[in-house]
Amino acid sequence: MSERKRVLIVDDDPDFAAGIRAILDAQYDTAVMHNPEDGWDALQKDHYDLLCLDIMMGRGAEGVMMARKIRKDNVLREMPVLIITGLREQIAFLFPGQAVHPGFVPVDELMEKPVEPELLLQKAAALIAASEARKSR
Amino acid sequence: MAIATPARRISFREEVENLLHAEEGVSLIRCIQCATCSAACPAVEFMDHTPRELIALINAGMKDEVMASNTFWTCASCYACSEKCPEGIRPADVMYALTRYSLWKDTFNRDWVAPEFSRRFTRTILRTGKSYEPGYAPAFIFEGGFPGVVREMRMAVRLLGKGRLPLLPSRIKRIRNLRAMVARVLPLDGIQ
Repeated sequence: MSERKRVLIVDDDPDFAAGIRAILDAQYDTAVMHNPEDGWDALQKDHYDLLCLDIMMGRGAEGVMMARKIRKDNVLREMPVLIITGLREQIAFLFPGQAVHPGFVPVDELMEKPVEPELLLQKAAALIAASEARKSR
Repeated sequence: MAIATPARRISFREEVENLLHAEEGVSLIRCIQCATCSAACPAVEFMDHTPRELIALINAGMKDEVMASNTFWTCASCYACSEKCPEGIRPADVMYALTRYSLWKDTFNRDWVAPEFSRRFTRTILRTGKSYEPGYAPAFIFEGGFPGVVREMRMAVRLLGKGRLPLLPSRIKRIRNLRAMVARVLPLDGIQ
């Protein structure tokens, strides 16, 4: 049997992170970090096959900055990044009716909260498989 | 190899400190409840919990009480508390962190003046690059009743006399550049 893949979840909301983790735990080894700094440190220390990243953390849209930093990193740039965000709701008061810019940051996939468990598992599996296929080429 | 991860659920204090991960200052657990922050605060009389109480509530994990409080929306951002804290805690940063957290989680009271003022201020800045005080007047001038209107009008006349109150809104040059900068950090499809 092949080794279980490893997923890192970076989200400042402990309840949401626990929910995502409970879904992914069925198929993956998961780790949770609650701020981008700890998330970045975890990526430096261990290898992960997928990153599930929140946008609004810390001072603001720090998930965007973390995704950009990952894409500039020689080692981490190949890792698939799945953004899970409630951005539209989070900024609805200041910017009502605004859509999220589709090309704002180079990530592999963007899902909006709340997340459908089946869909999350499907997307995680597809992103990891695509990344494996890229590596073996 | 085991994955290094916090398996337990983090406390509310840690949740707040995660919002402050990039700021200076020490952990809220260092608070000795001396109330220097509350004594230094010029806006404390308008707060339902003093800054000292708010930090005690955070340390006690009373998230619902903290998020329902008007304290952080009432903060005048003068930083007197942060300057005077003998332990090196920065309560003003905590206030800012809780303000944005309550916006993200939509837990703030929409009847309060501060969130609505914040919304109008932000939109004015994005539209023109400058604050335009007379633009806020219609929404807030009646908040203090008739005496409040008289007080505000007097203030406006004095400011006008000194040339400190613009009659017409103006905008900065190259407002597009400002919007482009904002769009880099706030991924919106088009800021209006």
